[in-house]
Amino acid sequence: MKVEFINPFVVAGIDVLKTIIGSKPQQGQLAVRSATFTTQQLSIVIGITGGIEGQVVYGLSLVTATKIAAAMSLVPTMAFDEFASSAISELGNMISGHATTLLSEAGYDSAITPPALIRGADIEISTATPGLVVPLYTDFGKIEINVALEESDKEIGSDLHSKATASFQ
Amino acid sequence: MARILLADDTLFMRATLKKVLSDAGFDIVGEAENGKLAVERYEELKPDLVMLDITMPVKTGLEALEEIMKLDPNATVIMCTAIGQERVVAQALQTGAKDYIIKPFKPDKVVDAVNKAISRS
Repeated sequence: MKVEFINPFVVAGIDVLKTIIGSKPQQGQLAVRSATFTTQQLSIVIGITGGIEGQVVYGLSLVTATKIAAAMSLVPTMAFDEFASSAISELGNMISGHATTLLSEAGYDSAITPPALIRGADIEISTATPGLVVPLYTDFGKIEINVALEESDKEIGSDLHSKATASFQ
Repeated sequence: MARILLADDTLFMRATLKKVLSDAGFDIVGEAENGKLAVERYEELKPDLVMLDITMPVKTGLEALEEIMKLDPNATVIMCTAIGQERVVAQALQTGAKDYIIKPFKPDKVVDAVNKAISRS
């Protein structure tokens, strides 16, 4: 996997989290990750399809997720309920959406699937290929960005987003 | 008071838009969690405006936009999405969307966009 594929997700993650939390997260050390790894308490899984293909998995603790959901919400929220789950799914969507914009500017047109939220620590997840992981350290705790992407030789058409949704069904 | 349909797959975003737009005096007449339901609710409710996400299950917002514009060439649709690729923005506007808001957004930007779109419709 090319290192350049994870950079847009890191930049997008920093930008989106800075907007939501109000302070800029610090980027941690890049590391290689095997195709199979175990999760944190919450994982947001998003498929990427098009000029590059694979998965992005955002991992964070329940405590961090609850704080971020509260920061995102216009109404007070304390517990990690359905609404907070939805907010965290949307967080993954926003970071990934921004990342695909950056990837597109770099010449890799792609689309994202709707997010899937997995709750439970130490669950084994397998991506199609080994990937890279970068932690972002926010005032609310750590968020790991796991990216496993490879270049695809598929044609990019105007129905790219439809195909991403179809692959999610 | 303008009647608005909200189409987004996340409960959080629908609730956020509902609060922002209701507080601004708009009437939220319906919600849809995917593109297929967005088109069905449009036909059923005939809202003055639709806030439409792109990345949704079953049918995307771009597909829903195309169908809504075929049903009603005068439909007023604002895309509200995390996708900011130039090609996608251009496609949405060419298909008939009146504006394009990228998430995360500031609430007053959404209200301004809705007011502008309604006043021009």
